Amino acid sequence: MIHNLPWLFLLLPLLVAAIDWVCFNKHPRMAAALSLLSAAGTFGLCIAYLTGLQTGTPGVYTWMPCSLEQLCLHLGLVMDPLAMRMMLVVTGIGLLVHFFSIGYMKGDSSNQSRYYAGLSIFMFSMSTIVLADNLAMTFIGWEMVGFSSYLLIGHWFDKASAADAAKKAFITNRVGDFGFLLGILLTLGLFGTMNFADMAGKAAGIPTAVLTVTIVCLFCGAVGKSAQFPLHVWLPDAMEGPTPVSALIHAATMVAAGVYMLVRLQVSMGAEAFTETACCIISWVGAITAVLAAIMAVQQDDIKRILAYSTLSQLGYMVMAVGLLAGEAAMFHLYTHAWFKALLFLGAGAIIVCCHHEQDIWKMGGLRKRMPLTVLCFMMGTCALIAIPGFSGFFSKEAILDAALAKNPTFFWIGAGVAALTTFYMLRLCIVAFMGPARDHGAEHAKEAGFTMALPLLVLAVMAIISGYGFLANDLVPFNGFHAHGFELGLPFYVSMGSLAVGILLALAIYGLGSRTKDPLAGNCLSKALRNRLYIDALYDKVLIGGLQQAFSHVIEFLDMFVIRGIICQLLVWITVRIGYLCSWIQCGSLRAYTLVSGIGLIILVLILAYQF
Amino acid sequence: MNIVSTYTWCQFTPAFALVGLAALLILADALLPRLPKRIYAFVGAMGTFVAAYFLATGEQTDIFGFIAAIATGLSILLAFDYTKISCESIAGSGNEEGTGEFYALPLVACAGILCLTQARDLVMLFVSLEVITLTSYVLAGYFRRNQGSIEAGIKYLVLGAMSTGVLVYGTAWYFGMVGSFNLGSDVVVSAMKGGVAGSPVLAFGFMMATALLFAGSFFKIGAAPMHVWIPDVYQGAPTPTTAFLAVASKTAGFVVLCSLALPFAPFVVPGSVVGKLLVWCFALVAAATLLIGNLGAMRQTNMKRLLGYSSIGQAGFILVFFLTLNGPVVFMVSKYLLAYALATIAAFFAVAMVRTQRGSEEIAAFRGLGKTNPRTAFLITVCFASLAGVPLTLGFLVKMYSFVAIITAMESWCCICWLLPIMVITAATGFYYYFKVIRAMYWEKAAPGAQPLQVPLCTGIVLTICVLALIYLGTMPLLLQA
Repeated sequence: MIHNLPWLFLLLPLLVAAIDWVCFNKHPRMAAALSLLSAAGTFGLCIAYLTGLQTGTPGVYTWMPCSLEQLCLHLGLVMDPLAMRMMLVVTGIGLLVHFFSIGYMKGDSSNQSRYYAGLSIFMFSMSTIVLADNLAMTFIGWEMVGFSSYLLIGHWFDKASAADAAKKAFITNRVGDFGFLLGILLTLGLFGTMNFADMAGKAAGIPTAVLTVTIVCLFCGAVGKSAQFPLHVWLPDAMEGPTPVSALIHAATMVAAGVYMLVRLQVSMGAEAFTETACCIISWVGAITAVLAAIMAVQQDDIKRILAYSTLSQLGYMVMAVGLLAGEAAMFHLYTHAWFKALLFLGAGAIIVCCHHEQDIWKMGGLRKRMPLTVLCFMMGTCALIAIPGFSGFFSKEAILDAALAKNPTFFWIGAGVAALTTFYMLRLCIVAFMGPARDHGAEHAKEAGFTMALPLLVLAVMAIISGYGFLANDLVPFNGFHAHGFELGLPFYVSMGSLAVGILLALAIYGLGSRTKDPLAGNCLSKALRNRLYIDALYDKVLIGGLQQAFSHVIEFLDMFVIRGIICQLLVWITVRIGYLCSWIQCGSLRAYTLVSGIGLIILVLILAYQF
Repeated sequence: MNIVSTYTWCQFTPAFALVGLAALLILADALLPRLPKRIYAFVGAMGTFVAAYFLATGEQTDIFGFIAAIATGLSILLAFDYTKISCESIAGSGNEEGTGEFYALPLVACAGILCLTQARDLVMLFVSLEVITLTSYVLAGYFRRNQGSIEAGIKYLVLGAMSTGVLVYGTAWYFGMVGSFNLGSDVVVSAMKGGVAGSPVLAFGFMMATALLFAGSFFKIGAAPMHVWIPDVYQGAPTPTTAFLAVASKTAGFVVLCSLALPFAPFVVPGSVVGKLLVWCFALVAAATLLIGNLGAMRQTNMKRLLGYSSIGQAGFILVFFLTLNGPVVFMVSKYLLAYALATIAAFFAVAMVRTQRGSEEIAAFRGLGKTNPRTAFLITVCFASLAGVPLTLGFLVKMYSFVAIITAMESWCCICWLLPIMVITAATGFYYYFKVIRAMYWEKAAPGAQPLQVPLCTGIVLTICVLALIYLGTMPLLLQA
């Protein structure tokens, strides 16, 4: 039994979610305590496996066991360092976010049991993705995280924008998932298995073009889940959810699932399965996302949206690294990014709560004096994000830039440019929100966050600083046999220092030290375009949804009305109903009719069996 | 000719114990008129559960006997919760007089089933089958103040007599052809030795006997063409009796069919004429049963009649297993019966509860249960979902095995591939009529002034246990593999 302990990673949160939902619907405190306990339990279990206290492979659960092997579905768990260390990130940040939520949700009038049940379902689904040993199970988890993300974005569903955002996230993900499903089916067809362990070396005999299509289809799943261009539109809107949710799901873990899945495939299929064309597509999508998101972030005013765009841009980095076949660098950046971006979001959450739910940075200001601890932690996160040497983000970004320079210098220069933009918009945020005088009542009366919110911030701040150093990274970065490189002075270092300097100087030159009350860059048409997200969302609404989809839906409706419903269904229903009438007509209640039917049937039976002799 | 008994007494210990218990209860009923009759129900149910325990843990696990004993016990427990209606329909309102045997007789029938599972020759088979049937006649017509029950009793008696006649006739042909009542592969082999060419008369007579004997067992199973009694009798008979007929009696039918059909297993190989005939016979009967049961159920509005048609339809899915006589037929059939029994018994408990408190057995009486009794409604939903075959319930798993069986059979007998689309269509109609009940509970408004149901103790416990078992066995399928 003890070797089946890892199944607790999945069952514990699932069970807790069910209990929260069914039993503690009216007792939010109990629900919170239970969810927190389950997060702590899985975190402890994860530590036990990482430190080697617990070992052993869990049993395989077979659903629908039968003699026809192709019908069976075997669900197993992988326990390699890639999965287990990823679990550490998921459960670790999950635990901190659960803890933070207690402070954040205090006094909220919505149904908090539903919130905690949602968090637990998310923990279950995310663990399913991470521990899945085959693509079918990944897909189950994939859909389940989509579902839990839907529940949590729409937690305040009576707010129309939140309900719309939840719907948008769910539907946008559907588009990507469709490709993903095709990819899974293609993989099953080509490789003959969905099991990661059996995929190795099978890519050799497959034609390159087919392989490219398969990989690109699988990549579609990542495009949806990791919010890459052109499906990036849902992530900024997803910020309508509670901020701890944004930290856990839309920054640290779920959106990174796409990257994790790609790396998992790269590791199990072998790098040769990722054909040149596929790699090219993947890295260009990543690069475009990184650039676009960074540009759009420059003119956002909502503190969470700035962070959301920065998440998009960092995910672009990771996807780009996957495309450059540098899975190691991608996972390194995923790991450091998870800690510091969770820190930034939770810090933003603390600020938002303390400013009476004000999210506009232009209505903040002067927070450095009123909530020094939170601001200090936030600054640590910022330093990691803009890659100041010595902070964790620096090491991982450097790893990606190194890989880019070695493979394709174009991506190196794109990466460097994005780094300058990142520095610029993050400093803009910090200067406007923290320096200068308070510009609104909320910011004037802001007080330091309470204990439940401060503790996770401190823990994450420490991780944001130290997690990149070799002594931690070698043991914790989710990659099989990860080894941190020694740091060298070279072209990448000088270029990233240059972009850092450019970003800092520009930010200081434009925003000074917080004396401005409105954005000097605003008001021109470029700023307007950026604030409107380069009109991509509008384009989707008008052309895709309003135009193409409407036109297409008319065709589908016609087919549905006349061919499917009219001819096929009605005909089938008519026939079955008639036969049904016949059957029950015989059953009229007359005993003589019954004996007659039986008698005729008996004669037929005898004829069938004995006539031939 | 002399008949040598091949049985030992201890084979029948559980059966004797149950008969003894029934005799005790009937004596007590006569001698201790003051004793509340519900005690008999409780004692009787416990007796069958103890018997079931010994059957499951004995040297040779008797899986059919186990299912039948549990089902009998549960239907007696159902009668325990049904006393209000029983008293009204037997002796007039509020009076318990004459209800005692109603709890004791199922024990006798159960003893019959337990003997049946041990039968290795036609005489034992026939006698134990008649024990079940005769008891069922009494039980079906027991509610003498209820016209439906009397009608059900008469119809069951007449049609049952016909089936008994067929069975006796078949037995006579059997004895006449092979000179023995024994059931076994060796008898079949010797009868078929000459084949069609060598001894055509013998082969013809033997197959004729087989056809008649099969027909006798089809009556109990509710397979076409002997299914005609089911809708009327199920609807009219007292609900506890219907539950007994639907599960325990059907199990008995499959015991008979297994012992009749399994000796033919060596013949079911490609190229054998007998094998081909048997496969055709089972395929045709299964197809007719599936169509009649599932399509007939679609327009039913009475819950018991619906469950009657459903029991015909489910029997069709079980009959498909007999296409692979060489495979683990007994195992698969018992597994399917278990899934069917758990869901059906629970459904009958729900029907009885609604009948007692809302006074109606129509599907319409279930309206609004989702609002007034959300938990009970959920339990009932799981039962019907399992009957329909929704994934993650045991019902899905066994229905899938039925499909696996037809696909396996098609590899050797591609001439029966037309059965597969019929199974698909009838499984789909299952969703229609089972979900009619679920729709009534959640989507239709309750009649004005409908009170929440008070869930009786036994009903609550049995429903919960059945649902837990359905979900647990449905998600942990390997448990049943051993």
